[in-house]
Amino acid sequence: MAEVKTRKVAFPRYAEYSCAFKYIVEQALGCKYVMPPALTKRTMELGTKYSPDFVCTPFKTMLGSIIEALEAGADTLMMTHGLCRLGYYGELLEQILRDLGYQFDFINLSEYDMSKKKEYIRIVRRFNPKVNYARFLVQFMEGLRMTEYVDEITAEYYKGCGFDASGGQYKRAYQDFLTAMYTAQGRADVEAGYRAAKRSLQSIPLDKPQRPLRVGILGEFYTAMDAFSNLELEQKLADMGVEVHRWMNVTNQFLRYGSGQKNLRVKIQDLSQYDMGPTSTANIWYARECAERGYDGLVHIKSSGCTPEIDVMPVLQTISTDYKIPVLYLTYDAQTSDVGLMTRLEAFYDMIDMRKKVL
Amino acid sequence: MEHAYLGVDVGSISTKGVIIDKKNHILASRYIWTQGDPIGAVKELVRLLEEQFDKEKYKIVATGTTGSARKLVGAVLGATMVKNEITAHAVGTTTFYPDVRTILEIGGQDSKIILVENGVAVDYAMNTLCAAGTGAFLSSQAKRLGIEVEEIGEYALRSTHPTPIAARCTVFAESDLVHKIQMGHPREDIIAGVCNAVAANYLNNVGKGKKIVSPVVFQGGVSKNKGVVAAFERTLNCPVIVDPNGHLMGALGVAILARRGSGRREFDFAVEDMDFRTREAGCGGCSNNCEIICVYRGNELIDSWGNRCERGARVR
Repeated sequence: MAEVKTRKVAFPRYAEYSCAFKYIVEQALGCKYVMPPALTKRTMELGTKYSPDFVCTPFKTMLGSIIEALEAGADTLMMTHGLCRLGYYGELLEQILRDLGYQFDFINLSEYDMSKKKEYIRIVRRFNPKVNYARFLVQFMEGLRMTEYVDEITAEYYKGCGFDASGGQYKRAYQDFLTAMYTAQGRADVEAGYRAAKRSLQSIPLDKPQRPLRVGILGEFYTAMDAFSNLELEQKLADMGVEVHRWMNVTNQFLRYGSGQKNLRVKIQDLSQYDMGPTSTANIWYARECAERGYDGLVHIKSSGCTPEIDVMPVLQTISTDYKIPVLYLTYDAQTSDVGLMTRLEAFYDMIDMRKKVL
Repeated sequence: MEHAYLGVDVGSISTKGVIIDKKNHILASRYIWTQGDPIGAVKELVRLLEEQFDKEKYKIVATGTTGSARKLVGAVLGATMVKNEITAHAVGTTTFYPDVRTILEIGGQDSKIILVENGVAVDYAMNTLCAAGTGAFLSSQAKRLGIEVEEIGEYALRSTHPTPIAARCTVFAESDLVHKIQMGHPREDIIAGVCNAVAANYLNNVGKGKKIVSPVVFQGGVSKNKGVVAAFERTLNCPVIVDPNGHLMGALGVAILARRGSGRREFDFAVEDMDFRTREAGCGGCSNNCEIICVYRGNELIDSWGNRCERGARVR
């Protein structure tokens, strides 16, 4: 019998989820994972050079990241399906890479009907025909759990890191956690890493005022969550001494609300009755939720030309006037200079800070 | 010796400086062009301010910088307060107009709107991707029409039938304008049309979704243009206040912030004779290759920035 070649799989670098992709590919599918290098200016330059000009920025980032993965030795690329233009990006991405002359296998999830269970088996078999299904199921679930842990610890980190009184221990604990996730080989590693992070984040003393400034982050799925793409917005805000909250993450968006967000819509029926895009319902719901909880401000993030998020903006303006909560609207393109962002963020911080003292 | 406070606002087009006393009275002020050389402009500004300043009676104990070159100029002047221009404008205006509700500001490259309630900014917006409808657009169109940018207001007010000009985008506005010129529209009407376009563009882009409540204060370089002021008054249907020192408001604001701040360092007018230079260095620590800006006084490194992580930190 002919030896089946082990695939070397890569997926574009995305926030801190690459560790979960790696885990699922290696532990569940029994393939090798090629970790694309961390996103840098070079990634952006590669992506921008070969992308259509008016495509949204996440596409450029992903293209750049995938080229870097091919350079690093990947032979099988995977692309996700999506509910906006993202659904077509797999095809476009493949075409651009083939025109450039790269050779690879391309597994595009948009080509499968994701509502049928049988299709999932077809996808798994394409990765590895000799996969052990029992092991696959167990490890796949563990990979999803890792995603939940990443989201939980990340959320906890950004809420606290602005008030770290220990001179960097908090950040180190978070980075140690990420290292543990990126190197995890099995369930025991994942659980141990998670518990260690939970313990240290809770034991490091925080110098938090009674009523800290709280800001809610919402917006387009990729740019709002990927620190490189939003020029480390969350860290920058937190460093000014702000509790940074973000509901949007893979756990909340996909693992908990996999089959639509009807139950989120209950509270915003007066504002919106239909989904206007993949994230509109969640964003509108979250904006109102933050406003009702008395947060001091909202930051809305989108990449240039993101139509679903442009549709959300008028609703946010309504919420902003009704609840008197300021919203900072930020549009990102392929720029890598953060001077303009800092001006706006500093002004936003000054404003919510002075406002809180008066009101 | 009485205490005085220096505020410097270095924008893309113009550089503004004021020296105020404890009661916010202006002791010296100057407005010059930046001309793409912020350090040179600031040295010139300091020289001009020194001429107006009474060194026997006052001494400058705190310095603030704002505007897009605030960091660079802050390093050069040894500032005790470096603040973004939005906060500086809000603080400056609310100090002189405590009742203000809306601040419109149009500068050389950017424009912003600040909403104020009870003397505190509660919401703001700033133009993002595009510089449409700012001073740079007005001055390039003035050049095309062969008049000085300072004269635009006078021309505009003489017009009785302003030419409608597409306001959405500078590029479209410009081609529309060229077309109208060649069709034979009188120059006054075209100029009035340009002023209307600037106001409309501002309200559609920056002011979108913001509730503009009177009293309205209009400032920034473009506020000196009577044509745009008239266009705003017509569109908003309320009086628009233009302070005689409106173009200095950012500098005033940051001088006030420097006075309120805790940092104190006596300002030395000798900077006008010192040699400052900047150098851009690629970090090379990883493939992000951060552009690090190093500022030197003579041969001494006084500040550096631009690195994203500690690998690129350069110490003096």
